[in-house]
Amino acid sequence: MVTLTIDGKQVTVARTATIYDAAKEAGINIPVLCYAKKLLPYGACRVCLVEVEQMKGRLIPSCTTPVTDGMVVTTDSEEIRKVRKTVLEFLLVNHVVECPVCDKGGECDLQDLTYEYEVVANRFQGEKFDLPTDEVNPLIERNMNRCVLCGKCVRVCDEIVGYGSYSFINRGFETKIATAFDRGLDCEFCGQCVSMCPVGAILPRPFKFKARPWQLKEVDTVCGYCGNGCTVTLGVKANKVETIRFNDKTGVNDGNLCIRGRFGYSYVNSTERLTTPLIRKDGQLVKAGWDEALAAVSKGFKAAGKNLGIITGARLTNEEFYLLKKVAATVGTTNLDHSGGECYKGVTEGLKQTLGVTASTATFPQVEKADAILAIRSDFYETHPVFGMVVNQAVKRNHAKLSIVADKRGKFGKLPDARSLVTKPGLELNVLNGIARVLLDEGLAVTDGVAGLDELKKALAGFAPEQVAAATGVTVDALQQTARELAAAKNSAILLAYGLPYTAYSKELATAAANIAILTGNAGREGSGLYLCGEKANSQGAIDLAVLPGNQGLGAQAMLAAAAAGQVRSLYIVNEDPLVSYPDQGKVEAALAGAEFVVVQDLFLTETAKQADVVLPAASFAEKDGTFTNAERRLQRLHPGITSPGSAKTDQAIFQALLVSLGDKVVYTGTEAIFDALKAGTPYAGIGYADIGLQGAVWGGDHLTVSKQLVPVGGGATVDAPFQLVTGSALYHSGTMSTHASGPNAVISAPYVEFGREDAAALQLVDGDMVQVKGSGCELQLQARVDNRLPQGVLFAPYHFASAGLNRLYKGEASVAVEISK
Amino acid sequence: MFKEFIQGLSITFKHLLPGHSTTVQYPDERLTPSPRFRGLHRLVPTQDREKCVACYLCPTVCPAKCITVESAENEKGEKYPQVYEIDLLRCIFCGYCVEACPVEALEMTAEYELANFHREDFKFNKKRLLK
Ligand code: SF4
Ligand code: SF4
Ligand code: SF4
Ligand code: SF4
Ligand code: SF4
Ligand code: FES
Repeated sequence: MVTLTIDGKQVTVARTATIYDAAKEAGINIPVLCYAKKLLPYGACRVCLVEVEQMKGRLIPSCTTPVTDGMVVTTDSEEIRKVRKTVLEFLLVNHVVECPVCDKGGECDLQDLTYEYEVVANRFQGEKFDLPTDEVNPLIERNMNRCVLCGKCVRVCDEIVGYGSYSFINRGFETKIATAFDRGLDCEFCGQCVSMCPVGAILPRPFKFKARPWQLKEVDTVCGYCGNGCTVTLGVKANKVETIRFNDKTGVNDGNLCIRGRFGYSYVNSTERLTTPLIRKDGQLVKAGWDEALAAVSKGFKAAGKNLGIITGARLTNEEFYLLKKVAATVGTTNLDHSGGECYKGVTEGLKQTLGVTASTATFPQVEKADAILAIRSDFYETHPVFGMVVNQAVKRNHAKLSIVADKRGKFGKLPDARSLVTKPGLELNVLNGIARVLLDEGLAVTDGVAGLDELKKALAGFAPEQVAAATGVTVDALQQTARELAAAKNSAILLAYGLPYTAYSKELATAAANIAILTGNAGREGSGLYLCGEKANSQGAIDLAVLPGNQGLGAQAMLAAAAAGQVRSLYIVNEDPLVSYPDQGKVEAALAGAEFVVVQDLFLTETAKQADVVLPAASFAEKDGTFTNAERRLQRLHPGITSPGSAKTDQAIFQALLVSLGDKVVYTGTEAIFDALKAGTPYAGIGYADIGLQGAVWGGDHLTVSKQLVPVGGGATVDAPFQLVTGSALYHSGTMSTHASGPNAVISAPYVEFGREDAAALQLVDGDMVQVKGSGCELQLQARVDNRLPQGVLFAPYHFASAGLNRLYKGEASVAVEISK
Repeated sequence: MFKEFIQGLSITFKHLLPGHSTTVQYPDERLTPSPRFRGLHRLVPTQDREKCVACYLCPTVCPAKCITVESAENEKGEKYPQVYEIDLLRCIFCGYCVEACPVEALEMTAEYELANFHREDFKFNKKRLLK
């Protein structure tokens, strides 16, 4: 610790702090333009100049100068004000001042400083910038005439996002920020640069001219898309979500978001939302009132009794899950499930049998300090982008060694010290076993207090590095290095994503990952963790609250089969579009046809809803109150920003009404009361609703106590065909909901199939060609995309789009053998 | 004392003499207000559009909250007021809106004959304000 004096105040701060940090701690405000808490110090703008007694004769930039003991700092004096004013005058020489039409007006740092320092005239004259605006993409507009060259966009895109869109080009007065070859911005559209820019040089296009910042009501809530659980702040005007505001005070995402969270909000305002219940009459879905609809639903459910099947998506709040379970109990059914291919089995079964827990063992911020990271199935950029940014920072700032075991190369594979262990789909398991084998062979394994060692050794007999290398194509060296790095690391992180399109080997992969966690000493060690990250916003909540088949109950797949056979007589499908998103469309079709009475509860008239007997209009995350639990076990509060369109209700309200009409007498006074009711017997028992603050509340603490039971798993199998297709999540979309949002659709609005360069060259394909993809007895027409991520013989198609019919082909396997023709 | 009464009343009587009345025979006779009079607002036009750039400063400053602006982008990519409306029933004619406008797109005219029959007629939309 270091003690210094700032404006007469004694401050004690950490040795690593800068003068700016110290002043901030002391409650003294120093103006800044190029400083940002989450970025490394840079010192570009010189607005933060201060006087330091020990360095007399010149002014010192406070944001880059580390504190030293006994420093005496003055942050405000006549001279300092004069110099700051001059700096602002310089910045305004070329700046095109058009605040009235600049969307930043009202929250522009330059505008605020100009006002504060009373820069009413400029002693310097110069030519105003006259650069064309960059509008080549539909989401982000860049106007370099307003840029103050603070470099924040350059730095955030590199340091945090790891994409590297921008760079300074030219020199002197000509200096500007440009993208590659100055062609305009075409990137991942995460919007981090938008949120960092202190002026109106980078702005969100969907929000263009929509409102002034002071007109917006800010509502802190949680992103409704993926299990990363980023906190978002809605900017609401006239009961409409107009934008997502930057906020780094809530959650643990530091204000970072991905394209889905940043630009994917518009579906909540969609005019296609359902506004009234629909009931099928004479074969047609017609509008109906709630009373009629609820009466029909409860009558149908009562008739079905224990033969009712309930399938829900994982985007309901915890409180809603609880009520849904009550609905199931009241009707008397145990057929309840929350994900099609039972992809969550990695957590519920894989982790359970090894570590004895059913959740990630540590929290996200710890990954930033990891020395070695093993990412399985994806480099996390596509599935959980903001967690991916944490991985990127660990590698960039902490020089963590990153190893990625996946069937395609990803963005982070290009980082220094990163290693991609690319295998054929399905063989990730073999690679993990190979790593475990190296750990054992080289005596690196932690075996104290570990059970099941002998069985594992026996089972790994066929996974000598050479054998694994021969089967998977991953080199022996890569396996050994990965194992050694993980074993040597003081803090390590093992990451595995799961979700609807990743159902194959769910349990096995998690088990193999847990084995490695145990053998490397990761399991149970403070600072290390195994992370199993669900696809949907409340996947973890669904597991914690056991939205799973009950005693003798059927899981989703079994339920669909039983419905097709007429045993499950009625289906209640909430917040999910299984016809599009579940593996094996035929099975879902048969189930919908076989069930006598189908109720769908959703925001839109989805493909599944079109087949229903009753459709109930539900609400989006932006309309809800309650809690989500993210992939690191963090419970976070949602706050409603807008009201639902028409007579649509939140799922919470629908379940309550349904419970009443089913004869349940308990009525809750509010969300908090439901939370209090659901806690008993769940991990949330110790958490009070009011304790869930801005940073949420992590159940079980930062570290879960784990058991160490090694469980042998066999290898996976891959299909032997010239081409095999894998499905998965594309960065720009999440589930099927994002296909109703204009932001993600502006980048990718239609299904496609991605080819690696070699395959594209061999097939003579270019971007945009239409190809026939034939496999599993059906044929799909898809547009081709060419990229350099996929190894030869592997194709990738995202699963989000209804029009693709991808799940006619994909039935839950690791990959599907396909034939390609033009 | 009587003298003082006469003195005082003489002033009163002087005002009763012809030519001393301030009452105007409206509507036969009309006054010309002073140049700084604050009457009906006017949106200043330019060649092909209104000068207003929809910066939202006038609705923000308006103490009576009677200005509605909705901005949008025109074909040229410029910001313009798709909707501009002043509810004169609520306006207090303080002139803050004129003062706040950064581009001098709004002014107040000498027009003070604003009586009307229907509430709706007191809503002055862009078209009426541009006249
Ligand atoms: S960037 Fe700031 S100072 Fe420049 S025009 Fe926009 S609001 Fe005004
Ligand atoms: S949107 Fe994201 S990826 Fe694109 S330039 Fe900005 S920070 Fe980089
Ligand atoms: S575009 Fe914005 S963030 Fe980037 S350098 Fe210019 S002012 Fe800074
Ligand atoms: S989709 Fe996931 S990663 Fe993206 S902003 Fe939402 S919670 Fe964060
Ligand atoms: S004159 Fe005053 S009250 Fe009337 S519109 Fe302008 S600001 Fe509002
Ligand atoms: S904030 Fe310190 S130099 Fe810019």
